[in-house]
Amino acid sequence: MNKPETSKTCIALKHKAADCRKLHDFLSKNIQTKNMPTEIQHDLRLVIEEIFSNIVNHADIASQDNEIKVELKHGTRSISITFTDTGKAFNPLCDHENCMHENDHSEGGMGVHLIKSLTDHQEYKRIRQQNVFTVTKHYNQ
Amino acid sequence: MSLEITVTTENSNSKRVSIAGSLDSNTAQELQHSVDAEIGDTIATVIFDLKELDFLSSAGLRVIFKTRKMMDNNGGRFLLVNLQPQIKKVFEIIKALDGMNVFKNQEEMDNYLAAMQNKVIDGE
Repeated sequence: MNKPETSKTCIALKHKAADCRKLHDFLSKNIQTKNMPTEIQHDLRLVIEEIFSNIVNHADIASQDNEIKVELKHGTRSISITFTDTGKAFNPLCDHENCMHENDHSEGGMGVHLIKSLTDHQEYKRIRQQNVFTVTKHYNQ
Repeated sequence: MSLEITVTTENSNSKRVSIAGSLDSNTAQELQHSVDAEIGDTIATVIFDLKELDFLSSAGLRVIFKTRKMMDNNGGRFLLVNLQPQIKKVFEIIKALDGMNVFKNQEEMDNYLAAMQNKVIDGE
């Protein structure tokens, strides 16, 4: 049986909002050759923006000089994106402060809702003092 | 991608904020500053025109909803017009379109505003 084709690429970013641009460029460069529908590309762009902003906003002072590593893993019709950072333990999926207020969107909490809605699987792990957050999206070409 | 904001006065108490480009974590503050500078208590209607908006994240959404809340608190009107499909999708995911004045194009919004004006003239 043939093994499914996979590819992996990685980038290291700083804990600053401006590096989100580098992340968008990294994503664009790595998905434009994958024959991925435009809507999926847009969804992924929004997802990485929300995850990266979350990490930057929740970083403690001690971890601000460290890198955020982002890894893209392509399957045949899926993409997994893993964010690894050395900040304090923070599981965005269990962050009660991040709950969306349906009657008052100005209070925030929409980022996590968007991440959950636009990806098929989300997983958080705390490994060796690192937050490892992976999202996976399946798509049809 | 950058953000371009154009604020125009439609009549003495109405402002149109045209937003082009990417409204994200890097640019949302620019919109907030424009709103703070341009939208005062005397403004009765604020129109956010999203025709040229390509990308919208939760940071941008927060500014939009804060502006809407401010207008609601002031007894004013907040209108959204010309949402591109990918922008409309973001609003739909967070279930934010119910109860909002959203118009697919300028004509639809003009008809609404004319109807509102007629109500005022008729003394309703």
